[in-house]
Amino acid sequence: MKSENYFINHKSQWCPGCGNFPILSALKKALAKLNIKNENAVVVSGIGCSGKIPHYLKTYGFEGVHGRVLPVATGVKLSNNDLTVIGCAGDGDGYGIGGNHLIHAMRRNIDITYIVHNNQIYGLTTGQVSPTTSLNFKSKTTPFGNIENPLNPLSIALSSGATFVSRGFSGRLDHLVNLIVKGIKHKGFSLIDVFQPCVSFNYLNTYDWFEKRIYDLQKTKHNTNDLFAAHKKTLEENKLPIGILYQIKKPTYDSLLPQIKKQSLVKQNISKVNINPLLKELE
Amino acid sequence: MERNEVIIKIGGPAGSGVNSLGHILSKFLQREGLYIYSSKDYPSLIKGGHNTYTVRAESKKIESSLDHIDILIALDEKTIDLHSNELSKNGAIICDSSFKIKGKTGVHLSPIPIKQLSKKFNGKYINSITAGACLGLLQLDLTILDKILKQIFSGKSEKIIKDNILAAKLSHDYVLKNFKYNFPHKIKKIKSPLKIFLSGNEAVALASIKAGCKFISAYPMTPATSILHVMANNDQKYNIVVKQTEDELAAINMAIGASFTGVRSMTATSGGGFALMTEALGLAGISETPLVIIESQRAGPSTGLPTYTDQSDLRFVLHASQGEFPKIVLCPGDIEECYHQTFHAFNLAEKYQTPVIVMIDKTLSESYSTINYPNNNLKINRGKLLSNEQASKIKNYKRHQFTQDGISLRAIPGQKNCYHICSSYEHDETGFTSEDPINRMKMLEKRERKLEKAGKEIKGYKIHGKNSKNLVVSWGSCKTPILETQELMKNKFSLLQIICVSPFPSKEVKNILNKSKNLIIVEGNQTAQLAGIIKEKIGIDIKNKILKYDGRPFSVDYIHNELKKRLK
Repeated sequence: MKSENYFINHKSQWCPGCGNFPILSALKKALAKLNIKNENAVVVSGIGCSGKIPHYLKTYGFEGVHGRVLPVATGVKLSNNDLTVIGCAGDGDGYGIGGNHLIHAMRRNIDITYIVHNNQIYGLTTGQVSPTTSLNFKSKTTPFGNIENPLNPLSIALSSGATFVSRGFSGRLDHLVNLIVKGIKHKGFSLIDVFQPCVSFNYLNTYDWFEKRIYDLQKTKHNTNDLFAAHKKTLEENKLPIGILYQIKKPTYDSLLPQIKKQSLVKQNISKVNINPLLKELE
Repeated sequence: MERNEVIIKIGGPAGSGVNSLGHILSKFLQREGLYIYSSKDYPSLIKGGHNTYTVRAESKKIESSLDHIDILIALDEKTIDLHSNELSKNGAIICDSSFKIKGKTGVHLSPIPIKQLSKKFNGKYINSITAGACLGLLQLDLTILDKILKQIFSGKSEKIIKDNILAAKLSHDYVLKNFKYNFPHKIKKIKSPLKIFLSGNEAVALASIKAGCKFISAYPMTPATSILHVMANNDQKYNIVVKQTEDELAAINMAIGASFTGVRSMTATSGGGFALMTEALGLAGISETPLVIIESQRAGPSTGLPTYTDQSDLRFVLHASQGEFPKIVLCPGDIEECYHQTFHAFNLAEKYQTPVIVMIDKTLSESYSTINYPNNNLKINRGKLLSNEQASKIKNYKRHQFTQDGISLRAIPGQKNCYHICSSYEHDETGFTSEDPINRMKMLEKRERKLEKAGKEIKGYKIHGKNSKNLVVSWGSCKTPILETQELMKNKFSLLQIICVSPFPSKEVKNILNKSKNLIIVEGNQTAQLAGIIKEKIGIDIKNKILKYDGRPFSVDYIHNELKKRLK
């Protein structure tokens, strides 16, 4: 399939040069590479610039409220596990207001691919600090510099039992396509944290800033089965690894539910449910 | 005079078997053909404290409590201190022989060597021993105990059941041998078809299963929690995904995700959890996603009295979430209505593609009652949900197409040609975000039309009785004690029961209220919330109010006393 297959004629609301464009392109290319039919993909998003993404894709989409991408995506996946479910959130959406859901989705190993558009800033609300904003960063809510330490999403993912932990960069399209393909193919929860420069409000973490720091982890001797090595990689600050930090096989949540082994919930006939055996127990 | 009715109260610390003993006695008396109403009173802790379980048995259908009791089973001495004053004349206290009981006039003391008898079973089976004593006092033989214990202890070994029956027999014999007084309550078997004994929460869960609910995501919260338990117990039998979530935000959003995918889904909570769900409630409204929410009220605000009853969430539920969107709010008044309204809620949610809230309370959720087998011919109606075949033939699909009744064709993921986005933003017919002022108004009006149509379908009230002069207006769990009072007062008043608060049956209620002379509102809250809604909707101010907000349910006696004063 070609990536144009997912094109929809809808005017973009992102700023020219926004790091979200490459993520959109990469997602389309990945879906095309995997030959996923339009009707079998569901892209769930929340609020923020990242939340607009289902508007630009010819697939099923759900743009929920702020921070709740993963609960909605979980409901979708458990109801029809034949679908490819992709969650897209920003760093505020995914790591701030929705942080609790992330931890639990990872420990459950729900079979969802979660792309976090991490621009280290609140863009849609015109520039406030996010959970991943650097220390000392000056924003509208931190005019004298950010005094909070940024959280480390990949380290949290590893500690929460995520089975696919990775990082991409909007400035490396082919690499990102490959990462999303692997994330979707992975059976279980895949976290893809994407460095996504915000050209309007993040004056620090620009394309150039990342270009000077990133390196491809898969071009080193990094062993993706090694949890300790992965943890070490999340701590690097001067050089920033992109690629798969950690991947392991574990049963997915949906594979452990006998209720949907034969047939997904949505395919089950509900017209004649017989509850007489249950009533009998109450006699 | 011998009476084929009895009220038994069991009291003791939490964890001492108060509930299991109550359950055994309820089931036993029901199998003798009587109607049972059982209710629980307990504080918010697991061990210790003071719990009671009250079993009321009558030869006619009942679903409310009285203020007196006939037998007090005291599993500790504190129970006697706290409740012996509730005993009726010639009532009895059953307790262990070692307890110190001060002499009470007119009360039959029935000390039983419970602890001593249990020594034969390594100190176990105290429940069965106590049950045996109580059944002895009621002059019932133990023939059917075997069946009841087999059902209650299903999965336990034959030996355990046999030993329990033996334990019950020991105390049963002891009572028959030692207590020769004439206890006025003698239970006689009534021949009648088998009935079921269940709580409001069980009725809600069974109706949900019957309605084809395939997905429930919820966070435990008293008094709604046991809905989740029943669903979990039956998830593999009925292929239902039961998800206990990390919080209520996840619970409602997961249910919305499931429903968007085409599966009937629900969540259940109490006021505090519902407070956390309110943002996503609006999401279901604007994205036109069907959803069933059970809100079992307890006494707030905040943590409040977590294990006690209240009807103070009515306004909150009615106005929950920012903005304006159609919301259907149903208020069943008894356990049978819990079953029917919950089933109905799933049909309404899909038909009108909007959230439906079923409001109950601790009294309904956790009280048990004998009811007839529910109607099995309930039909599922999925509204304008497209089949795969229908969807495949559609061109230029618009999820939120403007229609006369406001309801649009609903396609679900996996269906060809119909891909679309559902959004929390205001949107155009296709689902794309639109901030256009004309579209905005048309969309709000489209969604509101659904509620207008629903109002024509839902019968939102019931009239009980034919007295046109005096009218009591009420809702929810107040229904049953009011109806029992109506019988005691020989139909001196009629009851207008409001079942659907949104859409509110304004026209019909106005007609009914206008015809009555004396209007009295009965509600389990401090500010007469339903009366306020009635005033707002139809301009009639009901000034005569019977309000109760101590966390305890209305008893028949309470309502009777209040109405006697007001309807001279």
